[in-house]
Amino acid sequence: MSQNSVILKLISLPISIILICLGVMTILGGHITPGGGFQGGAMIASGVILSILVYGLGNSPLEFSHAFIEVLESVGALGFIIFGLIGLFVGGFFLYNVGTDILNVVPASIQAILHYPDVTNAGIIPYLNIFVGLKVFVGLSSIVIAFEGFKKLTEEGE
Amino acid sequence: MLSLGPIIFGLILGLIIGSQLKLNVNDTNFTLGAFVVIFIAGIIVAWQSGNYPFYTDLPISTAFLSALIGIFVGKLIFARSK
Repeated sequence: MSQNSVILKLISLPISIILICLGVMTILGGHITPGGGFQGGAMIASGVILSILVYGLGNSPLEFSHAFIEVLESVGALGFIIFGLIGLFVGGFFLYNVGTDILNVVPASIQAILHYPDVTNAGIIPYLNIFVGLKVFVGLSSIVIAFEGFKKLTEEGE
Repeated sequence: MLSLGPIIFGLILGLIIGSQLKLNVNDTNFTLGAFVVIFIAGIIVAWQSGNYPFYTDLPISTAFLSALIGIFVGKLIFARSK
């Protein structure tokens, strides 16, 4: 179901790349500004969806394989659950924000990587945003890839 | 103070997505010049975004710029043809 317009094909890949970068930016600022994992992941997926809709399935420059989608979904879900279990065992509640100094074993240099210089330090929220973003972007992309595949199958069958 | 978090994770996310960028399948030719133009446009967008994720470092969105660099580096290093 690709489009035949040359203008669309010329402009959609650059717009997709810019959209993906904006999505990554939204994910990484999600703990102190509006946005976060789901919104950023949806923005990344919108870039991928634009590319698939314009170039068509099988001809798109941005297209994910089954193994790629499977690995990223699993990494996102596993990371989220691992952080939740750390909160359960350290703080007593699932997803308890234990901060980055987990069990006093994390070095100070690693703690300072996503440290926001404010009284409201976010703790594990940025990392949760990253895992949710991974999961959402491959999830939404896989839905559109599946729909395009069904459409292609239907057109071939007729 | 420069925050390392957005640079590191932006680069990682960009590398992941850039590794799936394949240009040998579509019928529109994107040359090296096209990617230079995309990179310049990305720098302008990053500049207009300001020091977005953490408001204390460079006057440019480091997360955006590192994601853009990550996509290009991932495409150059990891992307395979279909």
